Amino acid sequence: MNNISIQLQQTRAITRRHFFQTGGLGFGAMALQSIRAAESGAQHGAVVGARAPMIAPKAKRVIYLHMAGSPSQLELFDYKPELERLHMQDAPASFLEGKRFAFIKGVPKILAGQFGFRQHGQSGQWISELLPNFARIVDKTAVMRTVHTEQFNHAPAQLFAQTGTPRLGNPSIGSWVTYGLGSVNENLPGFVVLLSGGKTPDAGKSLWGSGFLPSVYQGVQCRTSGDPVLYLGDPAGMERSTRRRVLDTIAEMNEAEHLRSGDPETITRIAQYELAYRMQMSVPEVMDLSKEPQHILDLYGAKPGYVSKGKGSDDPRADYRGDDPTFANNCLLARRLVESGVRFVQLYDWGWDHHGSSLGESIDETLPIKCQTTDRAIAGLITDLEQRGLLDETLIVWGGEFGRTPMMQNNVRSELKKGYIGRDHHPYAFTMWMAGGGIKGGVAYGQTDEFGYYPVENPVNIRDVQATLLNQVGLDPYRFRVPYQGLDNRLIGPTNEARVLKDLLV
Amino acid sequence: MKNREPVVLSVLLLTAIVSSAGAIEPVQFGRDVLPILSSTCFSCHGPDEHDRKGKLRLDLEADAKKEHENGVPIVPGHPGKSSVIERLLTKDSDEVMPPPKAHKEVKKEQVETLRRWILEGAAWGRHWSFEPIRKPTGDIDLLVRGTLEKKGLGLRSVAEPHVLVRRLALDLVGVPPTPEQAAAFALEPSSAAYERLVDELLGSSQFGEHWARMWLDLARYADTKGYEKDLERTIWPWRDWVVNALNADMPLDRFTEEQLAGDLLPNPSDSQLIATAFHRNTMTNEEGGIDREEFRQLAVKDRVDTTVQVWMGLTMGCAKCHTHKYDPISQTEYYSFYALFNQTEDANLGSDEPLLFRPTPEQQLQLDAQKTEIDEILKRLDEARKNDPSAVKGNNLDPADSPEIGKLKRELNEKREAQKTLRSKVFSVPVMRELSETKKRDTKIHRRGNFLELGDPVSPGFPVAFHALPEGAPMNRIGVAKWLMSRENPLTARVWANRVWARLFGVGIVETEEDFGALGSAPSNPQLLDWLAASYRDGGWSLKKLIRTIVLSHTYRQDSTLTSALLEADPRNVLSSRGARFRLSAEVIRDQALSVSGLLSGKIGGPSVMPPQPGGLWRSAYSTRTWNDAEDEDRYRRGLYTYLKRTTPYPSFTTFDAGSGEVCQIRRIRTNTPLQALITLNDPVFMEAAAALAKRMVSEADGQGARVERGLRLALIRPLVSGEERPLVRLQADMQSVFEGQPQRVELLLKGTRAVVPEGVSKAEFAAWITTANAILNLDEFLTRN
Repeated sequence: MNNISIQLQQTRAITRRHFFQTGGLGFGAMALQSIRAAESGAQHGAVVGARAPMIAPKAKRVIYLHMAGSPSQLELFDYKPELERLHMQDAPASFLEGKRFAFIKGVPKILAGQFGFRQHGQSGQWISELLPNFARIVDKTAVMRTVHTEQFNHAPAQLFAQTGTPRLGNPSIGSWVTYGLGSVNENLPGFVVLLSGGKTPDAGKSLWGSGFLPSVYQGVQCRTSGDPVLYLGDPAGMERSTRRRVLDTIAEMNEAEHLRSGDPETITRIAQYELAYRMQMSVPEVMDLSKEPQHILDLYGAKPGYVSKGKGSDDPRADYRGDDPTFANNCLLARRLVESGVRFVQLYDWGWDHHGSSLGESIDETLPIKCQTTDRAIAGLITDLEQRGLLDETLIVWGGEFGRTPMMQNNVRSELKKGYIGRDHHPYAFTMWMAGGGIKGGVAYGQTDEFGYYPVENPVNIRDVQATLLNQVGLDPYRFRVPYQGLDNRLIGPTNEARVLKDLLV
Repeated sequence: MKNREPVVLSVLLLTAIVSSAGAIEPVQFGRDVLPILSSTCFSCHGPDEHDRKGKLRLDLEADAKKEHENGVPIVPGHPGKSSVIERLLTKDSDEVMPPPKAHKEVKKEQVETLRRWILEGAAWGRHWSFEPIRKPTGDIDLLVRGTLEKKGLGLRSVAEPHVLVRRLALDLVGVPPTPEQAAAFALEPSSAAYERLVDELLGSSQFGEHWARMWLDLARYADTKGYEKDLERTIWPWRDWVVNALNADMPLDRFTEEQLAGDLLPNPSDSQLIATAFHRNTMTNEEGGIDREEFRQLAVKDRVDTTVQVWMGLTMGCAKCHTHKYDPISQTEYYSFYALFNQTEDANLGSDEPLLFRPTPEQQLQLDAQKTEIDEILKRLDEARKNDPSAVKGNNLDPADSPEIGKLKRELNEKREAQKTLRSKVFSVPVMRELSETKKRDTKIHRRGNFLELGDPVSPGFPVAFHALPEGAPMNRIGVAKWLMSRENPLTARVWANRVWARLFGVGIVETEEDFGALGSAPSNPQLLDWLAASYRDGGWSLKKLIRTIVLSHTYRQDSTLTSALLEADPRNVLSSRGARFRLSAEVIRDQALSVSGLLSGKIGGPSVMPPQPGGLWRSAYSTRTWNDAEDEDRYRRGLYTYLKRTTPYPSFTTFDAGSGEVCQIRRIRTNTPLQALITLNDPVFMEAAAALAKRMVSEADGQGARVERGLRLALIRPLVSGEERPLVRLQADMQSVFEGQPQRVELLLKGTRAVVPEGVSKAEFAAWITTANAILNLDEFLTRN
């Protein structure tokens, strides 16, 4: 074991360089430069395997909270008294002309916001009664009420938000960031995905796929029941000491093989088997919430060891429970992961698609449940990061893939009925917010018209959010690109329309 | 301007491209200049009219060499008079090219290359891959040796016979030989014996199973429809068609024509119709509230993009939204080509119609009977309604229905449900079918790629910068096939030859297999590529012949061991300075483990199967299909047959770089990660293989050393180096003494690995053999093809 680890240390620098050279995408030059930077960093014992950012970074890591299905901005962030005045009146023709909707048919009725709003914080922003905890920390966030996207079906819109294109096959933001910056903890994956809400988001695993980047940059889904990472656990009967013994034998044989073949790839494989062994310890450790003190668990509303009791019925939306702590657990895990050096943690919470067309997916009954399971956890996460001094260098992004219409969805019911009040998909204006990582607190950015239909001031393209995210972690969104299939691919797409939202930055 | 010239000239001498002999090589337009112009200038001064600045095109020789507002961009022989150089070097931020806001950088060396090219006369040319194929004299070895000698290298000796046989078997059929097969060859490793072995492997039905995987990646094959709902689709008969076609060595021109346009052939057979499912592998979106037409058109665009990608190695995708910035494909041309594909009946329907629907005679009788019954009920419903003028319209149940009508409707629902169930059991495959003349669609340009923003109408056609449609070929999908396979088209042959080379050598002659356009990488050995392309084309497009030619070469058979000198001179083996050495693919890693342990099922074809995967992975919101670990032979089928759900692909494969089948995957970029180690160490598939291999080791040899040796021989094929087995012998002995004190652990291990303890060994001893086999199945050499 010892002679192996010595040899590994000696060869580590070489093999890492070799790995990036053989990545096959011709990004050798950039990677090599950055690895050298990382290697010199490693001498200080601070950064291992990280690559130099391209511009001065404000954030070292990202936690992205994606509410899959798309929450209603009109019930949460964008207060529109005018909708109350026009409640249940026919929507004006200007709302409908030349528009396509997913489900709305004919002339729908205007729907008033279903919950109360009050002003909060120094910034005096209007925040819904459904988000009492967010209201407390609103001054730490920059709320963008004018985000718009190009897509209005879930899967393509999620892909657009997370990979920069509505089509499949492009790397996700997390892959871009870990590709650009590397990982800072050799014992953990650089890009971790956590799911809650009982289901995988609509666009599936592609949302954390590495696209045309090497698959080493794909997100690793960590689970809160079963093996936290697939196949992490040793087979039954194979204990850790046995595993160690087997690995030592493999390494000894592989070293002999390396002497014969001279292939540096073999050394890399020895190193990766060692890393796998360390991950078997480090991942369960970081995923183990039981070590957290009670006051921290309470801060988030987390419950260690919780296994969803969802019945898995045909309509999973019927399974929503206000006391389900999975999302809260994931928020706490996110903090533990970034604290351990994970670069990008992506949370997906399923179940925000409140059409009102069947029971368990309504604005009036389901949205409050979803808020109950997430509001405290999110505020807890920000508070916790701040009290640990991590918020300044951790960028938090919150949002869905689009917003919801000011009109009530009418394809099933056109009258107001309890448990069936819903809104359709709305790509023209919705709310996202960012916090930490060099983002100014207490900013209310952008305004929508009196119905919340269109932006009237400071519209934000979802690409702007992506550009700002990259900028904050020190990757120049315009220059950060990878040639593939005849295109210089960038997260922000081929045109330079995306803007870094300077007004939001410290 | 004038006084800058001498300074620059001296820089020129310092940075000029110098060949190994020390002489300055002239700049070549296609190799040296075009890549710089493409990546730096064409986005504003290229084919795309919309983004063009200063009315200047640098992609056309005439335009680049004539007078413009700011001078002549390129004056042959006079870099100092060429405005291109001036604008690249100026410090004036308003003048400098490329402009800062373009976020593009030009390196000093690149400017020097341009300057020297202009100085040398600025000879123009075409991008190398568009030039006709010129077959050089010689053969593979001669051409490889030619490039190696320039680097002071030569071909290495032939690999050790056992290693060579293993390499050949893994490359040709995707499973290793038996040690006995390899030993037989090693006894008399003659050229004739090697040739016989090659032919035997090429004739094996496992050949098609192995090489089909390459085509399935390209064809974005999967067992589900993709997008949000990602429901099941029966399209495995097409996968079997591919296996059969490859085994029959169907020539590429026929392989192309049947898959692109089998339905348009005269009196197409069922097999030819199944072939057209190739382009029915596009995804179908059944998400609520979508516009079906949008996703129909996305599928058509996918067909266009995939076709051009797979055969021509070019990206047409960019031209959906704007004229291609680097390659000569305008937006109008994109939609003209698209028009050729835009005439099929399929329309993003959940039923995936049109289908090739083939009930058995018995099923047909049942279907007929059901139809008669349903017609009868409908007739009675009609009559009942006539007698009851207030009856609710339509056939859906309604509380207001009279008891008689309600009963009929319920009966109708039942019968229709039964009909649906039966139809779902009938053999059916989505296929291509052309719209009838009266229903043909008009195609218009989609502005910015948006199908709602329609522009000018276009007529079907082919991009003009390429070769013409062969004479007599029709303007439809048959024409597309003939155009792709035309002798005048240099791309198809090059792209395919390169692809096959890359599978056998780990890296293509053109490394960017997906891009033969202006931004792709240049061929490491252009003459070799042309030799292979011409041989393939002129050899009747026979894939087996092409593979045979390659694997018979000395180049292929070289020893793969590395030296530091070789690593220095050819670090990634792009020059083939040695035998290729690379990690096996996801499926081969599985198949090999099952094969050496004796578990692998030899069953060919049929519906996709579900080997064990961790529970709880399939949690998409809509599908009622569940993953049930196969308990029979299907547990151990080849990886090719593993069920592929697009939104949740089989994790052990994606970890080893396999794709999801959502889009065309041209190549898998190999990675080396800890997650891979976790799979081969812990995945039940590999543990069960370890238990089965342990059983072979114990039953097929006597004594500890001999048993370890047997295991290593089964896995590595080659004879062992003296003492090589010792670490494993020690492992077995140590583990046995550990297990002897821990009977519960032994039971757990035996049960979890489905072990069958052979006679004459204790359970503890056998458990130790399992851990030993687990180590063998994780050796670097085992996971590597060398």
